[in-house]
Amino acid sequence: MTPDAPMDAVLSVRDLTVSFGSSLVLRSVHLTVYATEGVALLGQNGAGKSSLLRAIAGLQPYRGDVDVPSTRHRASSVAFVAQTSGGGHGIRWDLPLNVSDVVGFGLLRRRRPRAGRGKADREAIADAIARVGLTPLARRPINTLSGGQRQRVLLARALVQRPDVLLLDEPFAGVDADTRDTLGEHLHQLRGAGVAVLCALHEEHLAHRFFSRVLTLESGRLHAPPLLSPHDTRDMPHQAGEPAWR
Amino acid sequence: MALTLLTEPFQYTFFQHATLATLAIGVAAPLAGAWAMQRRLVYLTDALSHGVLAGVASAALLGTSLIAGALVTAIVMASLIALLVIRVKVPEDSSIGLVGQGLFALGVLGLTLQRDPRALQHVLFGNPLTVTSMDVAVDIGLALVIVFAVLWLRPVLSATTFDPQHARTLGLPVALVDTGVVLGLAVVVVIGLSSVGVLMALTLSLAPAVAARLLCQRTSTLLGCATAGGVAAGLLGLLVSYHAGLPTGPVVALLATAEVPLAAVIAVLRNAPRAARTARA
Repeated sequence: MTPDAPMDAVLSVRDLTVSFGSSLVLRSVHLTVYATEGVALLGQNGAGKSSLLRAIAGLQPYRGDVDVPSTRHRASSVAFVAQTSGGGHGIRWDLPLNVSDVVGFGLLRRRRPRAGRGKADREAIADAIARVGLTPLARRPINTLSGGQRQRVLLARALVQRPDVLLLDEPFAGVDADTRDTLGEHLHQLRGAGVAVLCALHEEHLAHRFFSRVLTLESGRLHAPPLLSPHDTRDMPHQAGEPAWR
Repeated sequence: MALTLLTEPFQYTFFQHATLATLAIGVAAPLAGAWAMQRRLVYLTDALSHGVLAGVASAALLGTSLIAGALVTAIVMASLIALLVIRVKVPEDSSIGLVGQGLFALGVLGLTLQRDPRALQHVLFGNPLTVTSMDVAVDIGLALVIVFAVLWLRPVLSATTFDPQHARTLGLPVALVDTGVVLGLAVVVVIGLSSVGVLMALTLSLAPAVAARLLCQRTSTLLGCATAGGVAAGLLGLLVSYHAGLPTGPVVALLATAEVPLAAVIAVLRNAPRAARTARA
């Protein structure tokens, strides 16, 4: 843990640099995320949003420090939900699995290769599925799900990990307005339950509508308005007629 | 009469050995093949079944165990492919083709150097007459390893196949699982060596798994269905080849392949009422 990190910080990124060969993708990024906070990462394609999330999740080599001030292992306290649009980056939705099977994968660990079978695990899976509103589809084969339902299945798989920080990469890409609103509502409820959310997205109006803090990545550098408090409540613009869940 | 046709061959020791060896490959091949299909490793399995010929021919020339020769070659082949893909950055399918065909060419060359090239024909296509009690023991032992590994690690196999990136964030050893699957496929080819032949082991790995996928929506039922299909094709093929005087491997492979259109018909018939309801709605 970083010695000077605030008590309720759930993620501290210090001087994080990511490069692909000689090309610098992220340059000395500093970021602290607090419990229950919703942080949006805006930026154009190639700005480094996904690289930042992947580095925090342990999927991308980096220089610098990523501290998760939790007593638990990073695999437990940080959950990553990759993009499902554009093929879902190698996710195999054609496999003979149902929704409960996939959500149960979130409980697996190196030392628990058969997790998901006990009563407590089954209850945790059912609870995560209920929290994303998919209980009626719990036994549904995954190859019959829509894009929005798939996104919610991956969200439930992340929730079953009981993370302190949820990393989301473009969760609103390729989903219709209703699904987008449902996802936004789920994220709001999650933050109410104590989970911090760090989310990469393109749509600025959604960032201001669904998240409490909006940061911008530009050419690998993070730009942020000054944070007044860990739970910044400044007004952010959002589209007329849309409820804000910040 | 029909009962005699079924029981008569079992009075012979060679047929008892062949039955046990066929049971071993009938169980292990579809269990491993189901993962080859789901992880899109069918081309690798095909290359393995051809590449091990180099090890078999070398072992025959040196007068050592053919199974040991095949197993060592399969491991060397898998390592060479991994080296080309990971270190030299050659595309995966090119690496598999390169190493598989290179070793197959070496195997064909090795066959021509045998005193009687036909002596190794059973390795390619299987021959129940050549199965020894030692072969049976090795085949059953290796098959049990496959069964135990697949059943015990099924959740991890499923999770790493579904989304390897997320599996890595959980700390699961994805690279180790990938290597284990390739080694498992190599072991299946070796198990098939004595009974159905290395070339036909691929069909017995793949066809029952494909047929099962047409009928099953869960991995657990798919594995059960595929295993039943593999055992059925193996035992029935053995009996047919005995009574018809045909080579075992091709008969078993043909019966296994026939399971696919059969499963397709069953799937269509099963889904017909639902399709009709949808059309009416």
